[in-house]
Amino acid sequence: MQPKSILKKTTVPTNGAPGTKPVNQRHLHVALHHANLIEQRKRVEAEVLDSIMTLMDYPTAPDADPKRPTPADAQFFRDAIIPFQPSDYDALIEERNIADKCGYALCPRPKKKARSTAKKQFIDTEYGVEIVDKKVLEVWCSDDCAKRALYVKVQLDEEPAWMRQGGHGDKLELMVDNAADLHKTLPLRLKKEAAVEKSKDDEDDIEDAWAARDDAMQDLAVERGEKPDQVSKANNELVRDQITERTPSDVPPQPPTLPSQSLEHTMAIEGHVPRHDRRAEEDEEEDDLQDWEKHLPG
Amino acid sequence: MEDTKYNNSLIRMWRVWRTTKEMMNERGYLVVEDDMTISLEDFARRYAREDGEPDRSRLNFSCQPSEEMLVKYTPAPTKKDPNPQPAIGTIWVEFNSDENVGLKQLRDYMGHLLNGSFYSGIMVTVKPMTGMAIRLLRGATGMSDGPKGGVEVFVEQDLLVNITKHELVPKHVLLSAREKAQLLERYRLKETQLPRIQSTDPVAKFLGLRRGAVVKIIRKSETAGRYASYRWVI
Ligand SMILES: [Zn+2]
Repeated sequence: MQPKSILKKTTVPTNGAPGTKPVNQRHLHVALHHANLIEQRKRVEAEVLDSIMTLMDYPTAPDADPKRPTPADAQFFRDAIIPFQPSDYDALIEERNIADKCGYALCPRPKKKARSTAKKQFIDTEYGVEIVDKKVLEVWCSDDCAKRALYVKVQLDEEPAWMRQGGHGDKLELMVDNAADLHKTLPLRLKKEAAVEKSKDDEDDIEDAWAARDDAMQDLAVERGEKPDQVSKANNELVRDQITERTPSDVPPQPPTLPSQSLEHTMAIEGHVPRHDRRAEEDEEEDDLQDWEKHLPG
Repeated sequence: MEDTKYNNSLIRMWRVWRTTKEMMNERGYLVVEDDMTISLEDFARRYAREDGEPDRSRLNFSCQPSEEMLVKYTPAPTKKDPNPQPAIGTIWVEFNSDENVGLKQLRDYMGHLLNGSFYSGIMVTVKPMTGMAIRLLRGATGMSDGPKGGVEVFVEQDLLVNITKHELVPKHVLLSAREKAQLLERYRLKETQLPRIQSTDPVAKFLGLRRGAVVKIIRKSETAGRYASYRWVI
């Protein structure tokens, strides 16, 4: 007996326009793509909200030092804000401020409190009295925190996390004074706490691990039919999961300063320019003042 | 002008409070008539601080649903649930006095509703909440961290006047589960075939209409006298 197909016969409409099916297929793909984006967007937004609610109460210890965060706090903060856009980061600062906290997530201190409810405030600085917006004054506990917080903000990706292609900025750096401490714990998350000193063996192990990974990547490339020296489809640079740390040095961490006064506006934090090394200019002003006084009669 | 002896902020708050009471009444909660018609003088005597500013913390109140409202909010019985409970209960209305309202206040408020076993809540704020608080609010309805009936937030500005009293706004009447079933039966319709109204529509928001409900809209017409249409809340 002739074997009979159990598959349904595909009916091909004889007068159907050629290519009807692929077009429908394409519509379906477009629809799916959009549905996926919406889904991912929802997920990212919920994730960001969750992170903000956690980071509102950061750091975990009330006596934490924003200059020297604990490895766990630093790690959480850095991981949590990877999907953040700068506007999400502003939202975090806003929520912390509403809860009377310094805007920098690793600082446990309250935000500065203006002495009155006036919109413009006079504040004493080491350079004399300055006039500052009340809003600006009440964001941070100190200029130091403002710098550390801004240092993080400038590294955030403007692109929404659900639109980012091929991974995203997973190399966020914090401005810390104890980079050495963090360096030990962060890149080697799987290691036991006991291994405080990084031994020679450890480093060899790490090198071996990287070499093994490169081999594996090459095998994978061959399997995919790529030529060995060609740029891989799964580009190494895009998927590398390495956390870079500021290497410790004797020089205290410097905010991204700009020597030129004319470019000062780029240093503004929420409209406020933190004073840095402006003694020279200040001296000049004083001289001017004295010169002018000399011209006064009597 | 006699009004000039009262602060503008107190007069504003008097309007907001009266509108809020009217809103609760129109939704079907039990509201004392005198509260909806309170004079500015009485309001000032009861709720003004010594400096003439309104004391918002004294404006908070709770409301019980009327019998009629309980019936309206009771879902249709099913085989699985032949005796369904009304999806409505005591509501807590709070007037927040903070200049900025964010996640902190919203979470505190939700905690308060849960602790006081309120079914739902309305928070009236001086200024719009932060974007993140709105995001939490959107996701919180029916979530474990909020009350069963959800939380609504109004800005004082939105309650200065009662929009449902505007002559161009037709009357909106919520249908009970039974009335809704009868309507769909009569016209042999699925609810998805009805025209829609957003739950964020100002009137829908004022009346607290929930997604899935059907509202009857009664308009006056020069030719037909009055005519009704129905909309499905999305
Ligand atoms: Zn600080």
